[in-house]
Amino acid sequence: MAITETRPLALPSGEPAQVDLHPVGVFERPKAKRGWRSWVTTVDHKKIGIMYGAAALFFLLVAGSEALLIRAQLWSPRGTLLSADAYNQVFTMHGTTGVFLVVMPLGAAFANYLMPLQIGARDVAFPRINAFSFWCFLFGGIFLNTSWFLGGGADGGWFMYAPNNGVLFSPTHGIDFWNLGLMITGIASLTGAINLIVTVLNMRAPGMTLMKMPVFTWMTLVTQFLLLFAIPVLTSAQFLLMFDRLFDANFFNVAQGANPLLWQHLFWIFGHPEVYLMILPSFGLVSEMLPVFSRKPIFGYPFIVFSGVAIGFMGWGVWAHHMFVSGIGPISVTTFSLTTMFIAVPTGVKILNWTATMWGGKIRFTPPMLFSIGLILMFTIGGLSGVSHSIAPADTQQTDTYYIVAHFHYVLFGGAFFGFMGGLYFYWPKVFGYLLDDRLGKANFWVLLVGFNLTFAPMHVLGLQGMSRRIYTYDAGYGFEIWNKIATIGAFTIATSVVIFLVNIFRSYKRSKDLPPPGADPWDARTIEWMVPSPTPEWNFDPLPTIERVDDFWYRKYGEDENGNLVRIAETEDVIQHGDGKGVHLPSPSYWPIVTAFGLPIIAYGLLYTWWLCLIGGLIVMVGLYGWAMEPPDDPDAAHGDEHGPDDETLEGAELATAESASTGESAEEQEVQTVG
Amino acid sequence: MPRRSRLLKVLGTVSVSIVAVLYVALIVAVLRNDDKPLTTLAPKGVNAQTIQNLVTPVFIVAGVIFVAVFGAVFYILWRFREREDDVSLPEQVHGNSVLEVGWTALPAAILAGIAVLTVITILKLEQRADDALRVRVYGQQWWWSYQYDLDGDGSYDGPNDLTTSNELVIPAGREVDLTISSNDVIHSFWIPALNGKRDAVPGMDTYWKLEADEPGVFSGQCTEFCGLSHANMRMVVRAVEPSKFDEWVANQLRPARSPEPGTLAAAGEVQFGNLCAQCHVVNGRFEKAKENRPPLVSGAAPNLTHLMTRGTFAGAIFNLYYPQQPGAPVPTPGDPADVSTPGDPGDALYGGTSAYPINRVTLEAWLRNPPAMKPAAAGQQRGMPNLGLSEQQIDELVAYLETLK
Repeated sequence: MAITETRPLALPSGEPAQVDLHPVGVFERPKAKRGWRSWVTTVDHKKIGIMYGAAALFFLLVAGSEALLIRAQLWSPRGTLLSADAYNQVFTMHGTTGVFLVVMPLGAAFANYLMPLQIGARDVAFPRINAFSFWCFLFGGIFLNTSWFLGGGADGGWFMYAPNNGVLFSPTHGIDFWNLGLMITGIASLTGAINLIVTVLNMRAPGMTLMKMPVFTWMTLVTQFLLLFAIPVLTSAQFLLMFDRLFDANFFNVAQGANPLLWQHLFWIFGHPEVYLMILPSFGLVSEMLPVFSRKPIFGYPFIVFSGVAIGFMGWGVWAHHMFVSGIGPISVTTFSLTTMFIAVPTGVKILNWTATMWGGKIRFTPPMLFSIGLILMFTIGGLSGVSHSIAPADTQQTDTYYIVAHFHYVLFGGAFFGFMGGLYFYWPKVFGYLLDDRLGKANFWVLLVGFNLTFAPMHVLGLQGMSRRIYTYDAGYGFEIWNKIATIGAFTIATSVVIFLVNIFRSYKRSKDLPPPGADPWDARTIEWMVPSPTPEWNFDPLPTIERVDDFWYRKYGEDENGNLVRIAETEDVIQHGDGKGVHLPSPSYWPIVTAFGLPIIAYGLLYTWWLCLIGGLIVMVGLYGWAMEPPDDPDAAHGDEHGPDDETLEGAELATAESASTGESAEEQEVQTVG
Repeated sequence: MPRRSRLLKVLGTVSVSIVAVLYVALIVAVLRNDDKPLTTLAPKGVNAQTIQNLVTPVFIVAGVIFVAVFGAVFYILWRFREREDDVSLPEQVHGNSVLEVGWTALPAAILAGIAVLTVITILKLEQRADDALRVRVYGQQWWWSYQYDLDGDGSYDGPNDLTTSNELVIPAGREVDLTISSNDVIHSFWIPALNGKRDAVPGMDTYWKLEADEPGVFSGQCTEFCGLSHANMRMVVRAVEPSKFDEWVANQLRPARSPEPGTLAAAGEVQFGNLCAQCHVVNGRFEKAKENRPPLVSGAAPNLTHLMTRGTFAGAIFNLYYPQQPGAPVPTPGDPADVSTPGDPGDALYGGTSAYPINRVTLEAWLRNPPAMKPAAAGQQRGMPNLGLSEQQIDELVAYLETLK
C-alpha cells in the first residue's frame, strides 16, 4: 500500500492505473476511524505501535505476577506457597514471558511508532504485514498463556534444554504450548524484521542518509537484522522439538544416539543475539534522551552507531559462553571466552560516550533523564558482572547460580527496561498528547530504582554463596535467608513502582484536560519526530521534511554564531508542523491481517488436541490470505479531506513501491531519481 | 518547568542511601562468607584456588571501573546540573576522536591482559595428574552415583572396583579425575569448595577433576535444571586421610552380611528382597536391579550395600546421622534435618559404629511416603515411589538398613 501525495503515480508504461473503485462485500476495505473496529483493522504504524506497547505492558503484569510468586516462595527456607511442579512452571513462564512478550514487544512498540517518524516516513513499507506481525505476536502470546488453563505451563526453563524437554520427562502439553506459541510469535518477529529493515533502507525522508539517521533508528535497524537471522534458528530448533514431541521423531532422543548439545547450540545461537536485540532498542532510546536533557548532541555519533553495529556482529560469535560447563572442550571454551570478553569493548564505548554526552551539558532531571541515568549506572553493573563470567574458569563457579540471575536482570531490567520506562515518559506526550506527571514520574523512578536494587543486587551474593538457579526450595544454614528476604521485599517494591506508573497514566490523563497541551516539542528535542503535532496526526508529516544533518530539528531551532556558541534562530512554533496536511493518501485499513493471524493458534491447538482444528485453522489462514490478496488497494472514499479524483489511485502491489520520498513541489522525475539513489 | 518538591527530594535521598547501604552490605557479605557451606569464595582445593586466583584480580579491576564510572557520572550530574539562573546554552561538542579511540583501546588492553590470564587458567584446569584416582560419575533424577576404578584397569565395574552414591569419598591431597555422564537429562556436578561445575550430559562423557587440600566435608548441589526435584539433588564430598581412604575402600569392597536369623533385621531383609530389590542393589545379596536398568532413564536406584557409611540419604538432602554439632536440633518427620551441615557417620564411615545417633525419625518418615518428602515422578520410574508400607514393615526395613555398614 503506497502512501502517496496528491499526484497520481503512473504505471511504468505511462498508462494510468485501472482500479475497480467500488468493490463489494468483504473485499471492501474497512473504513472505521474510531472505536474498536479501527484498532482491529488498522494498518497504521502508530496504532500498531501503541497496541504492541499495551500488550507488552499487560504481559509485564503477567510476568511480574509470576516473579512475585517466585519471590514469595523463596521468602523463607522450605517455602510452601508453590509445589515443585508449580514453581518450575512459574519460573519457566516468567522467563519466557519476560523475554518474548515484554522486552521484545516493547522494542517493537517503539520501533513501530518511532522509527517511521524518525526517518520522515508516513508508515512502514508493508503496513498490512505490520498489522499481521502484531496479531501474530498477540495471538502467540495468548496461546502460550492459555496453557495455564489447559493442564499447566511449560516446565523446562525458558532455555528448554533437551532432553528434559522431551515427552518422557515432561508429559503434559506445557512445553508444546511453549514451543508452538513461540513459533507463532517468531512469525511476528520475522515478518516485522523484514518490514522494518525495508522501511529504514527505502523510506527515509529526502536528504536523510544512513549517517544522518537518529541513533534509535540505527539501533532498530541493527535489532531487526539480528531478529532476521536469529529467529529462524530458534524456529528450526523448535521445529525439531515439535517433531520429537508430537510425531515421535528422535532429534533429541539420546537413546537413539542424539546429542543433546545440538539443542544448546541452536538455542544459544538464537539466544545470545536475542540478548543484544533486547538491549539495543533501549540503548537507542537512551541515545535520544540523554542529548535532549543535556542540551548537547550525542558525543561521538559515529562511535555510538558503529559500536551498536559492532555489537550486532560480535553478538553472533559468543553463543557458546552459555555452555562453558557443558563439556564443549577447552579450545571452544577458550575461543568463546575471548570473544565474549571483547564484546565488552563496544558496550563500554557506549557507556563512556553517554557519560561524555552529559559532560558540559545542562542536565535537566526529568523522569526520562532519570531513567536514562539509571540505565547507564545499572547497565554498568550488569556489564561488569558479564565480564566476570566471560572468564570461563570463573563462570564454572558462577553459571546457573543466582549470580547469573543478578547479571541478566541488571542487563535486561536495569538496562533494557529502564530505557523503555524512560522512553515511555519521553514519548508519552507525542503518542497520547499529554505529559505524564513529573513528580509521580520521579517517584516512579526512585521506587523502581530501590526495588530493582533490593531485588537483584543481593542475588550477586546469593550466587557467590552457592545458591543455584531454578530451585523451588532451599535449606536454612547456607546463608541464603537474609538476602532472599531482601530480594522478596525488593520485588514487591518493584510492583509498587509499576502501580505508581499506572496511577500516573490515569491521573495525568484526567488532569491533562485542565492543562495546556504539551505541543509538538515539549522537551526542546532534537529529532524530527518532534516536528509533528502531539498526538501525531494519522499522516505523520504534512510535507515530508528534507534532512540536512543529524538532529535536523534542533538545527532548525538553533544555529551557531561565529564563536561556535549556540543561538536560537527560530521559535519552535515556527518550525514545527501543525497537522494540517491535505491530500495525504494513506493505506486503508484491512480485515485480513487479523484474520490470517487468528488461524495460526487454531492450527496450534489442533496439533495438540484434534486434527479437525488444524483444518479449520488452516482454512482461516487460507481465507485470510485470499482476502488479503483480493482486497482492493485502497478505498477511494477513505481519503483525508482531499478532493482527489478517481485517477488519484495507486496500484496494489505498491507495497513494494516507494512512493514515500516525495516532498511537495518536486516533480515525479526527481522523485524517482531520489528513490533509486 | 517541573515544580520542586520537598517530598521528592527526601525520596531521592532515601533511595540513594538505601542503595548505597545495600551495596556496602553486599561487599561486606562477599568478603565475609567463608563459613557458608556452598560458597564459591573460600577454596578448599587447588583447582578452586586456581579459579579464585583469577577471579580476585578481575573483581578488583571491576570494582575500580565501577567506582570510576559511578564517580564520574555523579560528578557530572552534580557539576552540570541545570541551574535556574543560568539560561545559556552549552557548547555543542560532537565528539573527540582521540578520546574515543582512547577509551576503546583502554578497555581492550585491560581485557587483553585478563584474557592471557584466563587462557593460562583454562589450560591449567585441563591438566591431569598421572596418579589420579579415577571415578565415573552418573547423574540421574535426582541423585548421583559414583564408580571407582580402584585397580586402574580402565573399567569401573570390575571385581576390585566399587560403586556408591551421593557421597564421594576421596583421599585428601590426591587428584581425583571424574568422567561424568548422565542416565537421563542433563545435570551438573558442582562442589564449589573444590572446583567449578561440569555438566553431566546423557550420551556423552565430560571430564573434570577434584582435589581437596585437607580432610573435610564439602557440599555440592546439582546446578543444571533437571526437572521436578532439581532443588533436591545434592551431593557431598568427604575427603579423608589417604590411609583412612584405604580403610574405607576395604570396607566398601566387602559384600553385605545377612543379619542374624530371627532378628527384626532378618525380617527386614526379607521385606527388602520383596519390596526394594527391584531397584536397589545390595552387593552379595540383592543384585537383580543391576540388570533391569533401562538405558537413559533412571530406573535404577542407589546402591545400598554400605548405606550406613554415608552421613546423608535421598540425594544428600536428609541427614542419616545427626551432624557433628553439639545441641543440633532433633529432626521431626516431614521436617527433615538441616543438611547444610551434613550428618557425620564418624567411624561408621569405615564400617564401625558411629558415635552420633542415627536420624531414625527422618528415615522412617521417608519410607512412609518418599514423594511427599522429595517430589518425584515415581510413576515414570523416576524417584522413589510410595510403597504404602505398614509401620511394622518400616520398623523391619530400618532395622535391616542399619546393618548395611
